[in-house]
Amino acid sequence: MSETTVGAPGSARRYVHSLWLLSARDLKVRYATSALGYLWSVLDPLVMSIIYWFVFTQVFQRGAGEQPYILFLITALLPWVWFNICVSDFTRAFRKDAKLVRSTAIPRTIWVNRIVLSKGIEFLFSLPVLVLFAIFSPGAQVGWGLLLFPVAVLLQTVLLVGLGLIVAPLCVMWGDLERTTRLVLRAMFYATPIIYSIGDLPAPFDALAVFNPLAGVITLYRVGFFPGQWDTAAVAVAAAEAVVILLVGIWTFRRMERTVLKEL
Amino acid sequence: MARQTLTRDLAISVDDLGVRFRRNRRGRRNIKDLFANASRRNRPGEFWALRGVSFDVRPGESIGVVGRNGQGKSTLLKLVAGVLLPDEGRVAVHGGVAPLIELTGGFVGDLTVRENVRLTAGLHGMAKSEVNRRFDSIIEFAELEKSIDTPYKHLSNGMKVRLAFSVVSQLEEPILLVDEVLAVGDKAFREKCYRRIDELLAEGRTLFFVSHNEKDLRRFCTRGLYLAHGRLALDASIEEVLDAYNADNPTSG
Repeated sequence: MSETTVGAPGSARRYVHSLWLLSARDLKVRYATSALGYLWSVLDPLVMSIIYWFVFTQVFQRGAGEQPYILFLITALLPWVWFNICVSDFTRAFRKDAKLVRSTAIPRTIWVNRIVLSKGIEFLFSLPVLVLFAIFSPGAQVGWGLLLFPVAVLLQTVLLVGLGLIVAPLCVMWGDLERTTRLVLRAMFYATPIIYSIGDLPAPFDALAVFNPLAGVITLYRVGFFPGQWDTAAVAVAAAEAVVILLVGIWTFRRMERTVLKEL
Repeated sequence: MARQTLTRDLAISVDDLGVRFRRNRRGRRNIKDLFANASRRNRPGEFWALRGVSFDVRPGESIGVVGRNGQGKSTLLKLVAGVLLPDEGRVAVHGGVAPLIELTGGFVGDLTVRENVRLTAGLHGMAKSEVNRRFDSIIEFAELEKSIDTPYKHLSNGMKVRLAFSVVSQLEEPILLVDEVLAVGDKAFREKCYRRIDELLAEGRTLFFVSHNEKDLRRFCTRGLYLAHGRLALDASIEEVLDAYNADNPTSG
């Protein structure tokens, strides 16, 4: 074939082409169909940050987190929004575009990866907000730890792809899982060091928190602004868990793929 | 070795193909399914939609698939298109496939005709520049010049089929799969589609055609596959296959 087609079916180039086409469509729909467009990417984490900032600094006397607290919140809430939206979208990854899945023979992992990619791009688009708060919050400082920020993005990507490969096919089999996932996510929010840091937890829980892969990921995001947040154990555990989850995800997805296609 | 060199010259090679469905959609599934080694085992509540099907297709052949409803015709087409995976055996397709297997053709209701053409053609592997180059002729063929920016869901069924056929028939893939969707379009458009299929066949494409219409089958196909009860009952010339089918199903015409 000449240049009329993009790579051979099953080639890496064709994979990226299809992945990009679907992700770009998601972004286009997101930014073109609503009047607020881009603002939606930042509005959600911003409003949440302001609420928590108000509750924990103005209403209660804050006993957790670091100063400036609003920056402390935003460094974790932006990646949390990426995580949260991805996992809740995984539950509908196949159902939402069932017709397309049923009629185009693109590699099925694309239906998961396109969510991670398009929401990841939205996350990157929301980073200017973080930059603004880092510049204008009184007392904010930036250190070499900021170099770990891309590492955090990479680690979160691995974690999300792994989770997606597990959650997406299982949700096709069991409808209940959709609601269960939403519930787990809500619990996850408070179980993850977002409005506090790992060190703020009392005795047995700080050791347990280390096993939450998101704890390590958020540590990596924060360490550029708050060097005191560094926690070797949490980061190492997160990296190991992300890889294991990815491997389990690949295995699960392979096992379920044929059944998923029949069920759609 | 001999088998290897042989399969390379084939367009489609289907070997001992089998696929199994659940009889009851509400059937219990449990986490054990994930771990059970499922191959080659009969499980209660499941049936084989297709089993033990083997055949080879050489490039340029035009094949008509014949059988009553629910005998596995569409399932076979989906397996060849790669949108369904077999439980046993294998399908090897050499070169890309242009599938016209669902009425919807994989279009998205909320997107406009323009966006849908770009998306679907792109997902079938057409490069962006190529989509741009062919866009006008796709729209012209589908006779949708006035509806380019209409959301797909607002099109009539006939328009949808026209668009789907138009996009898929523009793909430069060596194998064309056509399910019975063409029955929906009006007569004039059907004639146009048939002329296009004739053109594609003349170019040496391979055609895999599922239809209940005897006239169409005789017109396009040289070889027939007769599916009955999920098995390949007969693989012969289209005349023989249609005769056998008519003998088995005297009331159908």
